[in-house]
Formats: sequence, structure tokens, C-alpha cells
Amino acid sequence: MKALQWRGVNKLAVGEVPDPEIRNRGDIIVKVKQTVTCGSDLHLLGGYIPFMEKGDVLGHEFVGEVVETGADVQRHRIGDRVVVSSFIACGKCWFCSQKEYSLCDNGNTNPAITETLWGQAPGGCFGYSHAMGGNPGSHAEYIRVPFADVGAFTVPDEVTDQRALFASDSASTGWMGADLGGVQPGDVVAVWGAGAVGQMAARAAMLLGADRVMVIDRYDNRLHQVEKHVGAETINYEQTNVALELRDRTGGRGPDVCIEAVGMEAHTPGPQQAYDQVKQQLRLQTDRPSAVREAVHACRKGGSVFVLGVFAGFVDKFPLGALMNKGLTVRGAQMHGQRYIPMLLERMAKGELTTEHLATHVMPLDEAPEGYRIFKEKEDGCVRSVFLP
Amino acid sequence: MRRIPRTVLAGAAVAGGVAAAGFAVRRRASTTGGDPRWHSVTVFRPLDDVGANLPEKLRALEVQLHPAPGDRGTEVRARSAGGEVPDGEVQRVLRESRSLLEVGDVLQPGGPTTTPTPLNKPLRAITRRTRTGGLS
Repeated sequence: MKALQWRGVNKLAVGEVPDPEIRNRGDIIVKVKQTVTCGSDLHLLGGYIPFMEKGDVLGHEFVGEVVETGADVQRHRIGDRVVVSSFIACGKCWFCSQKEYSLCDNGNTNPAITETLWGQAPGGCFGYSHAMGGNPGSHAEYIRVPFADVGAFTVPDEVTDQRALFASDSASTGWMGADLGGVQPGDVVAVWGAGAVGQMAARAAMLLGADRVMVIDRYDNRLHQVEKHVGAETINYEQTNVALELRDRTGGRGPDVCIEAVGMEAHTPGPQQAYDQVKQQLRLQTDRPSAVREAVHACRKGGSVFVLGVFAGFVDKFPLGALMNKGLTVRGAQMHGQRYIPMLLERMAKGELTTEHLATHVMPLDEAPEGYRIFKEKEDGCVRSVFLP
Repeated sequence: MRRIPRTVLAGAAVAGGVAAAGFAVRRRASTTGGDPRWHSVTVFRPLDDVGANLPEKLRALEVQLHPAPGDRGTEVRARSAGGEVPDGEVQRVLRESRSLLEVGDVLQPGGPTTTPTPLNKPLRAITRRTRTGGLS
């Protein structure tokens, strides 16, 4: 079958790979109908997460049709239209029992890598390096989905493929940031990053009752989407001082909940950017955390900061003093999709959550390398490139 | 946290048919005077259930079972008493045993789509032996 493969740092190509097959009794095989780029893929593409092998298939956010089921699969039948959580979870371990599915003890076949890096191993993810299990990704004609009764969800008839597609990761990740960040009715929420995840986090905060939600970015087209499709306020950080603006808009308090949806390749104006880039290139720090720093500094006393963006290793100049002295709660997680996808599909069916606008560029899988180039360069107003295998 | 002494644990494990193998190996360890490292995982199943269903590869090791605090299941410690089983292999057996006990199956890696290069040789050496090594 055809698949988009990582061939080296900043090298992608569509090639032939073996068709997936049932390997565990709980597996299904899905014919991929739509699969979408994610900002976190750019960390893999750029070599910032050094656990890729030449030939790895990218992609972790997808919707498709079940074409084969393992002997133990009970919830799905051939022909079902399903959206699948990007993280792979068994549904039986203690972490799954706590609905912290991305921390699953049994979903990662290569736990030694992350256990050594981070002390404990999270679960596995589709198409996201050998540190996350080396599972072939969704930018392919077919994909094997382990633990399908836990991680694959039938899409309601009222929900289009393109809307359901984003329940797979963007919407569930965003919702998690607002939920576990502790958004309460009446809160003021600030979201760093107006990509798909940031937009979904903002929308989730609004649906959870936040009084004001502000999204911070530098791309006008993305901020325009926030205003038009999410209904949140915007701040362009290249045109204003974010810290002062947030103080001003919150009566001097700062946002109650700050959600960082940027990740390890954050951009910021001023000398901080050059400092972080030099240190990252010299491998003196693995990640650029400028958005996290800003969120910690801006957050109100006793507030909450949730890190949704993907980070891999170590950062420099983390404002630990602000965290401690302001009594902040800082939390992060990979996405617990299984916890949120059923609810998100219901909201999508009711029209409370729309995502089609995120798919700014739709193209055949054969054009995926160009789709990633456009996505990476943010050309032509690209928010997400969607591939049709 | 309630800790059950090793002897009591061994007794508890009798119900599951674990103790015979455990005692046998432990005796051998004491005679060799070795002190191989213990490795641990927590299995989200009750102690009696774990003891009664200990996977075969785990039975070949010296095993201790403790109830985990907060209804988190059972803490399983294992080591190769004589040191003949490498630490990485003990870790793999523990992880696979946890999966067998919790899920009834062990997740297999996806089919290979990659090609070897000089740059990815170290990574391939790690991923070729799934669930081996780490800190557990």
C-alpha cells in the first residue's frame, strides 16, 4: 500500500509499505478515509525527537472504515465508520481505570526509551516515533488499530468525515486542556497558539462556561478563524505586549487558566527567541519553551497552567520562582482521547463543535510531502493539510 | 502502605501455585550468595488473582507479591536469583506478565516499514527487543 514515510530530517516521500495485518485479537484494520497533519509532526520532521527510523509512516489523526476485525473485537464490525484516538490504550490498567489513557501501561511496545528519558513510560501513539511504540501511522491507505474496542469510536451519521477527523486528536487534546486545566464557569482563559489544538481548547473553555477566552498567535488568518469559528477574543503577539494586554483585559488579575498549545518549537519576538534557538541548536536544551514561560508569568495568583504542546526533554530558564511564589498549578499530558471522543462526537452531531474550517488544504496522499511543506511554512493560510489516501 | 513480610507473601502466593517455584529459586539464590537486582511492576489486579494466574515465564524467576496501596492492585517484584537471566529480560518478562494479567494479551509491534541505516542502527538495536531494558 501507499504511505507517507519519514526518510530523514526534513525529508518525506510517499512509498510502498506492507499492508497492515491483525497482530492481536483486539485489533482492527481501518481503511483510512481522511488523515491530517499535526503541528507535533513537525518536531519529528525537523529531527527534534530523535527516535525516528528511515521509512517510518507518519500520521496520528484520522477517520476511516473498518475492513477487518480481530477475534476479540466486540464493538466494531466491518463497514463501521470510525474515528480513532491517537494514543493507544488497553482500557484495563490502573491508568486507564483513571481515564488517563495516554498513560496506559500496556500500549507502548518500546517502554524502555521513555522510561529512561522520563522515569516512566506513557502509552503508545500512532506514527509518533519509536519512543511512542513505533506504530505505523495513518498517512497510509490502511492502518492497524490495536485495542479497537477501547480506542476506536463509531461516527454518528450526522457527523461528516471532515468534522469527525478532528475528534481523533485536535479536539480531544484541546478539550483535555480546558477540562484538566480546571476551567470553571466565569473563568477567564488564555490560550497560547491558534492552531487546531489551540482553537479547540478555546472552544472547549467556552463550552465549559468560561466568561472570557483569549487566544494568542501571530498569524492573522488563524486569529481570524478564532474570531469567526470559535467566537473567542484574539491577541496578536507581534503587535502587542501579551503580558500587559492580559493584565489589562483581566483587571490586573491575570487569566485564571492558561493553556499552552504551542510546544517545543515556540516562537517569540525579541532576544528570547535567539537565545532559545541557539541553545536548542547546540543541544543545550532540547525544547524552546517561550510560550510556557509567558503563560506561567501571566497566570493569576493561584491559577492553573496546562501544557498541551508537545515537549520532549529539557528546557532552560523555566520560571520556577513564579510557579512557587504565585501558588500555581502546572499540569500537562498527552491526550486522553478515549475519555473525550464519545462526548465530542455528540457535540459535533449537535453542531456545538465544528471543525471543518481547520481543513484549509485537502489533497491526495500522493501530495502529502507538499502538504507538509505548506503546513510547516504556514503558506497560503494553511492551518491543517488533510490527505485523502 | 501495608507491607507483607516476604515469608507471608510467599505463603499467600501458594494459593496460586507460585510459591513452589519461588521458594525453589530463592533457596538457590541463598546458596550462591548472589544479590541480583529486583525489578518491579504494579499489576492492576487483586493479589490473589495475580498469585493464581502468574504467567509461566514469571514463575521461572524469584517472585514477591505485595498488595499495592490505594487499591492499585499488586506490586510484583522479580529477579533472577542466580543471575542467569539478564536484567533486561527480567524487565521484559515483568512487563509482558502485567499485560497478560491485565489484558489477557501482549500488544505486538506493528509491521516493519523501515530500512536500516548507519544512523538508526543504535535505535534499531533497542527496538528490536521490545519491552527490554529501562528502569522497571
